[in-house]
Amino acid sequence: MDESPKKELAVRRNTSSHLHRKEETPSWHLGAPVDIFFRSSPCRIVVVNAQELDHPIIYVNLIFEQVTGYRADEVLGRNCRFLQYQGSFAKTRYPLVDIRILTEICRCLSEGFDFEGERLNFRKGGSPLMNRLYIKPICNDEGIITHFLGVQSFKEANFDLSPLRGLVWKKSSGAIHTHILGDMYSQKPLFVHRDCSFKKCCPLYKVSDEVLVVNILARLTPRDVTSLGSVCHRFYNLTKDESLWKLVCQNIWGQETFSILESVARRRRLWWGKIVRELTTLEAAAWRKLTVGGSVEPSCINFSVCAVGSKVVLFGGEGVNMQPVNDTFVLDLNEDCPEWTHINVNSAPPGRWGHTLSGLSDSRLVVFGGCGRNGLLNDAFVLDLDEPQPTWREVSCSTRPLPRSWHSSCILDGTKLIVSGGCTDSGALLSDTFLLDLTMEKPVWKEINVSWRPPSRLGHTLSVLGNHKILMYGGLATSGPLRLRSSDVYIMDLSEEETRWKYVTGSMLPGGVSTCNSAPPPRLDHAAVSLPGGRVVVFGGSIAGSRLETKVYILDPMEEKPTWRILYVQGRQPKYASGHSTCLVGGTRVVVLGGHHTEDWMLTELHELCLINLKGTD
Amino acid sequence: MAELPNTTMANECKVKLKSKDDKIFEVEYAVAMQSQTLKNALAHTGCTDTALPLHDISSQILAKVIEYCEYHVNAANTISEKDVKTWDEELVKHMDQDTLFRLIVAAKYLEIHNLVDLMCKTIADRIKDKSVEELREIFHVQNDFTPEEEEQVRRETKWAHGE
Repeated sequence: MDESPKKELAVRRNTSSHLHRKEETPSWHLGAPVDIFFRSSPCRIVVVNAQELDHPIIYVNLIFEQVTGYRADEVLGRNCRFLQYQGSFAKTRYPLVDIRILTEICRCLSEGFDFEGERLNFRKGGSPLMNRLYIKPICNDEGIITHFLGVQSFKEANFDLSPLRGLVWKKSSGAIHTHILGDMYSQKPLFVHRDCSFKKCCPLYKVSDEVLVVNILARLTPRDVTSLGSVCHRFYNLTKDESLWKLVCQNIWGQETFSILESVARRRRLWWGKIVRELTTLEAAAWRKLTVGGSVEPSCINFSVCAVGSKVVLFGGEGVNMQPVNDTFVLDLNEDCPEWTHINVNSAPPGRWGHTLSGLSDSRLVVFGGCGRNGLLNDAFVLDLDEPQPTWREVSCSTRPLPRSWHSSCILDGTKLIVSGGCTDSGALLSDTFLLDLTMEKPVWKEINVSWRPPSRLGHTLSVLGNHKILMYGGLATSGPLRLRSSDVYIMDLSEEETRWKYVTGSMLPGGVSTCNSAPPPRLDHAAVSLPGGRVVVFGGSIAGSRLETKVYILDPMEEKPTWRILYVQGRQPKYASGHSTCLVGGTRVVVLGGHHTEDWMLTELHELCLINLKGTD
Repeated sequence: MAELPNTTMANECKVKLKSKDDKIFEVEYAVAMQSQTLKNALAHTGCTDTALPLHDISSQILAKVIEYCEYHVNAANTISEKDVKTWDEELVKHMDQDTLFRLIVAAKYLEIHNLVDLMCKTIADRIKDKSVEELREIFHVQNDFTPEEEEQVRRETKWAHGE
């Protein structure tokens, strides 16, 4: 526990109304409901730091100490959940504490809404308190949630607290201890025993576990698997099988995603049940800082990166004197001490910046377009990292799309390069979409003809959903005579006979205000990452008013009414993230390099958004 | 070990199968070959007049298995994939749970992989999006969790239900 906050707060302890002192408050407008709390009864006040892991308490008022029996120095630095434990030695939450309320609190906190409700708490001595709780997120001037303010009024709770029968489970003599996945709140294992939960004459009895798991359960979604696991002991045991979750993953997310995850799972010894869960809920998403060795020299900005297996590959950029460079660097994150290595390639493409670099299957990558020494480019080059002497090879095509920079690209099926929009030599913005099938012997650029195109733009992102859909988001888009930041989302299904762009959500007007509370503000040059299951995560980029915005947003386009949600991510976010310098490594980590607001031109300090907990079972 | 029947014999050979309740079924050799188990058995015995006993399979289920195999032995060459799929769907459309499960056990024993697949896919489709209570109905299973265990399981599985 940090010493200094305690000393500071000791001075404020005697003034429970310190929040009303105007000279101290930045821009905290507490609003009407909280005022009512203050007026009705003495209130406990708790402030927690929203940016630290596990939301530690940084302030409690005198009333809190008096009512709960816990002194400030006993609770500072801890998460509030100890109030749900009966007595100071309890390790888990008292069972009568309503889980639904807690879930609702978590949801409100992660989405930035106020929460109001009642819940059961306990004093230090163990006596119960019914707690009327109001939680409000507090934002700084940049709109980032920095603290949560909890205001609580209480009344005594009257109910029987005699030990519930069966609460402490005794291990029965014939029990087989099955390893339990352990839920978010409690680590107490559930002892189960192999029992016959149905009559022996029921035909299901004769269907072997193997058939059940491999042929039936493996076809189900996680939701149905867990529903089945809640039916009886036998099914519960089956759903604890690691190999089942491996099969489920393969089934719901496809072979490609599965293979990528498999190499990560094997290397770090992760449980498949946990992988499926964490990639579904994103509950373990966290920002981490990564220091690597080597350096990218000569230093440059506006380079492009992409991931090849566990490696981050960097190409091009704008070097000193605004000259385009054409170096290729690789950083292997699987190594114990990753460091940037310059690759001596045969015949590098002409130097460029504002290009796109995308990863194909089989350790290959393709670069397209960008701004070169003598103007904009429309050439494409492919590099195979697995070759003993990697060589950039130009893809020769008779006709090509218009030369451009700040376009977006993505790879469909590991083999088809899709390019869209961007800015031309004359400064005009483009709205076209081209596809280059690199499996053909003589690849040909094909324009995807559509009856209606979204407004032309640059700095937008294209993400792939599944095998045949692409999602376009954001960018600086044409709006009449103006160019405004966009928050629009469009999807195209390339398996349809008549391909067309479908509007999904947004403001319908670039630069306009969106109606939903948790929708991301319009932006360009952001990062967009496709998650398994067809969801898209978006963060960073440039938003209006040159504010720094590092909230992470998630969208599921498959929903009936796709709505953006704020994804709560633990840890400290990077101050800036741009699309061209982020990439998804191993299906589980989004690596963010450089950025306009750092001094780090050598690219030795990286940030990564880890989607799952990568600490395995070592 | 008896010799394998040659092609001409195979065309004339009829395989006899005896169900649990002592009913005899006669099928074409090619139909029986759909079952890996029967294939192996016949490789040992050759074409014989003795009925192969299937102790665990009732006549009702065996009739269904034979119906499936008889259709599919012809379907491979002559009928379109789409039509085969439609036929399969019709077969299982109104099949009750018990029959489905018994068929799985029989098909697994006889090693008729396509039939196992079809049955399991049908069950998986019936499980989709069902509540826990409905699943207990479908599987005729009693709840053998204590209330505390049930609460624990519910907490552990909340994540998959979008909570």
